[in-house]
Amino acid sequence: MAPTRAFATRLALAAASTTKSTRSPLTTTACLRSNSNSSRRAYHSYDHPPPPGAFNSAERQILSAAYGHVPEHGFTHKALSLGARDAGYLDISTNVVPDGPFSLIKYHLVSKREALAPRSAEIFNAPVGGAADGTTPDAAAGARGQLLTVPERVERLTWERLLANQDVIHRWQEALAVMAQPSRVPASLHELALLSDEIHHLAGDIAVDPSWYTKRASLSTIYASSELFMTNDRSVGFGDTRAFLRRRLDETGSLAGALGSIGQWVGFTASAGLNVLRSKGARI
Amino acid sequence: MAARSGLRASVRTLRTSDSIYCRCTRPFSTTLQSRYPAPSASDRTKTTHFGFEDGVSEKEKTERVAGVFHSVAESYDRMNDLMSFGWHRIWKDHFVSSLNPGASSSNPPKPQRILDIAGGTGDIAFRMLHNAHVLNSNPDVHVTISDINTSMLSVGKSRSEALPASQQTALSFLPADATALPDAIADSSIDLYTVAFGIRNFSNIPAALREAYRVLKPGGVFACLEFSKVGNPLLNAAYKRWSFSGIPMIGQLVAGDRDSYQYLVESIERFPTQEAFRDMIVDAGFVVGGDGYENLTGGVAAIHKGMKPLKSSS
Repeated sequence: MAPTRAFATRLALAAASTTKSTRSPLTTTACLRSNSNSSRRAYHSYDHPPPPGAFNSAERQILSAAYGHVPEHGFTHKALSLGARDAGYLDISTNVVPDGPFSLIKYHLVSKREALAPRSAEIFNAPVGGAADGTTPDAAAGARGQLLTVPERVERLTWERLLANQDVIHRWQEALAVMAQPSRVPASLHELALLSDEIHHLAGDIAVDPSWYTKRASLSTIYASSELFMTNDRSVGFGDTRAFLRRRLDETGSLAGALGSIGQWVGFTASAGLNVLRSKGARI
Repeated sequence: MAARSGLRASVRTLRTSDSIYCRCTRPFSTTLQSRYPAPSASDRTKTTHFGFEDGVSEKEKTERVAGVFHSVAESYDRMNDLMSFGWHRIWKDHFVSSLNPGASSSNPPKPQRILDIAGGTGDIAFRMLHNAHVLNSNPDVHVTISDINTSMLSVGKSRSEALPASQQTALSFLPADATALPDAIADSSIDLYTVAFGIRNFSNIPAALREAYRVLKPGGVFACLEFSKVGNPLLNAAYKRWSFSGIPMIGQLVAGDRDSYQYLVESIERFPTQEAFRDMIVDAGFVVGGDGYENLTGGVAAIHKGMKPLKSSS
């Protein structure tokens, strides 16, 4: 098994085996962890069914109808209300959508993120690996690997996701303002984390070392700043945004390279220094 | 070290708080039970609970709840302020503004009919009228205040005289039992059914939910604001201490009626958790979005919302 998120999977497996062991003090925490995993899957797993959708059918009906009104009315209660009417509901029915306009923003984020998997299959002309169609991740990664490297695929997918914003980009600053409200920040950051995770998963990144975290953190930052750049981009086909995105990704690549080189230099110098001291007779 | 022993003491409080309060007893002479005759054998068929007291028949609970609210009607609003440090106004404001009654995508705005159950003193109804008529400029919103208790309704009636005339005409009062609403309220006739701090006093909550489902239009919303369970154990310890010691004492000092307020806090304790009540709403046929509830002040109160699904999708 070589799933993308093997690192997290192993953690979960370790937790599961702890639950089976007798009366260990860790049992309670392991139970808590497995409970939370059963409700919300935090990683792409090939062994677990996908989590239930973020919205139920009534919410989806209202939100999908309301989404059509966003370009005109923005992510507002007005758009929700019009959507409810289009879907055959009453004005008051918008209350079934728990967070009002924020749910509309979340609907945009979730639906565009979910649309990325079929889109990536289209672009890379290969089946999407994993739970979706049951192909082994290695085969999918192999087929895609012939075309592009992982960083290139990450760039391409991030760009596709940014392009999915173009219909509502003139309303996106309002949405960002809503997402930045203190009570909405955790949910917004969670969606951002899910997006960068999805992009790395679809790009076929199978690293399980600590770079799992740094890659996702840096992509989240780059995506958020590119999105902000895009809200003010008036160039044809958002060419400036793509250039901006490429520059940021290149910087991260070169920064990662520089950090790696510095690390190597520090390690070498330290061990050489130690050996020099030892050769002088220091008892180290 | 002092801090650690303090912490230990508070942890002990957390562990034992439930058991203490479940065992709390009052002299027989001061309980409400002594004021009412023992239930007859025929009433014993369907039983419910009254505060911490089990095996009370539904009919008797209805009568005893009526007794509680008859005795607190006059001082109800003053007591609410004292018991919640005025915070109940914030909850109610939030409840109404989140429902946003009167908001309409059509021009002219569509009329709405709102039924405010257990809304005796009009706190919620007046806020909804303000929200609909003033903020949403929708004068076609009519609110019916319903309460089983005529004393509470008469308090609401006298308070409503201070409202602008246009809002007074959009208001009506209906003494009714929420578990069996009268024929004056037809099936599928209500846009919004609200019940604030009332549903825990109902003798049969599932029956009330079924009635709500019956009178609501498809797409209509059931909304409930009610005390609930506090998640944070530290806040819970402080909250339990306040509600079981502070509130009956204030009731005695201000309203001269300890037993009624003792009942209030016991009935809060007996009310189901957020999730259990959400499941009751779903069982009645409603559709809930997201978690189905919203906690206020860490769960001291919670808002539950459910929508009656459209016929095609149900």
